[in-house]
Amino acid sequence: MQTEATPAQADVSELDLVKRCQAGDTEAFDELVTRYRTRVFSMIYNMVRNEQDAWDLAQDSFVKAWKSIKRFRGRSSFYTWIYRIVMNVTIDWLRKKQVKGAGAEFDDAVELKEIDPASRTVPKADALPFETMERSEIRARIEKAIAQLSPEHRAVILMKEIEQMQYHEIAETLGCSIGTVMSRLFYARKKLQNLLRDVYENI
Amino acid sequence: MKTFEEKWTAWLDGQLSDKERVEFEASLPDKAAAEAEKRDAKKLGVLLKRELTADVLRNEEFFSHQLRERIARESVEPSRKRAAEVSTWWTIRRLFLTGTVSLALFFVFAVFVMREKNPAEQSQYLTQILNARVDPAISPNATISMFETKEDRVTVLWTEGLQSLPADYAAK
Repeated sequence: MQTEATPAQADVSELDLVKRCQAGDTEAFDELVTRYRTRVFSMIYNMVRNEQDAWDLAQDSFVKAWKSIKRFRGRSSFYTWIYRIVMNVTIDWLRKKQVKGAGAEFDDAVELKEIDPASRTVPKADALPFETMERSEIRARIEKAIAQLSPEHRAVILMKEIEQMQYHEIAETLGCSIGTVMSRLFYARKKLQNLLRDVYENI
Repeated sequence: MKTFEEKWTAWLDGQLSDKERVEFEASLPDKAAAEAEKRDAKKLGVLLKRELTADVLRNEEFFSHQLRERIARESVEPSRKRAAEVSTWWTIRRLFLTGTVSLALFFVFAVFVMREKNPAEQSQYLTQILNARVDPAISPNATISMFETKEDRVTVLWTEGLQSLPADYAAK
């Protein structure tokens, strides 16, 4: 996983920064924020698809991280640890939003019933030539497709495909088993393949 | 024991051992379709990676500035809250202590008063008679016996050999 660390920043080890944070050094925390803010924001944005919400949730995540940094024992990397906070904050927010909206933007039950594990994915729309599709249109299609996944499925596919995280890192971040991660990944991929086949087939 | 979904995912991501891969591929009803599916999944991954990694946080410095201010603000608020909580607890504790001390003082005082009260209950006449008995000039052969029944709250004085009674006692 990459970070925004510059060569000068890289000289200061992450663990040193964390130890300084645990002693109450806000400058050390500021440096950690600088290293991870873009990736954290991007991840949240891909989950919620709204810049302002992503900004607020990223702020909430870092504040929560600061408040609980004394409990970080270094058993995992700081990145995995902060990602766990980010995912908890974001998934909670998405769940609350779903309850408030009283409408299922995503539906795990429907998803499981609709997909035959052994089936081949079938495009729902006629294939469009990739060249003719505007970038924004592709982006909108992807966002719409991701919006149909449950928060947990979204988190798993984004961490795997965008962040290139290992199964065990995703499991640790989401607080579930590796088997659950693999199963969620299976259904998330199937659903996105169904929804986006006409897009990726022309790459 | 891995489920089909787990094996499929591990197969797509190249996470199966050689032995597991051979076994899994042998169990597939249509290997060509599965390979096509695998290629699709790879394409999907490429598409997502290409399209979703471009999100850059704008106003990064403002983001950090806002975060610093929020942390500073929220660090002050809990300490104020704690101080308020301590103050409230101190008041409650003080009230509790005051009550306990008052109760203890009351019991000590009550016991002390009760103990002191018994001698005061002795009759003034008994004192006079006892005094009279020890005066050999007035009543040299006087004897006094006292019988007391506490249950009935009755005291009987039996006197013998008195030469005279005190004037105020006789008047009663």
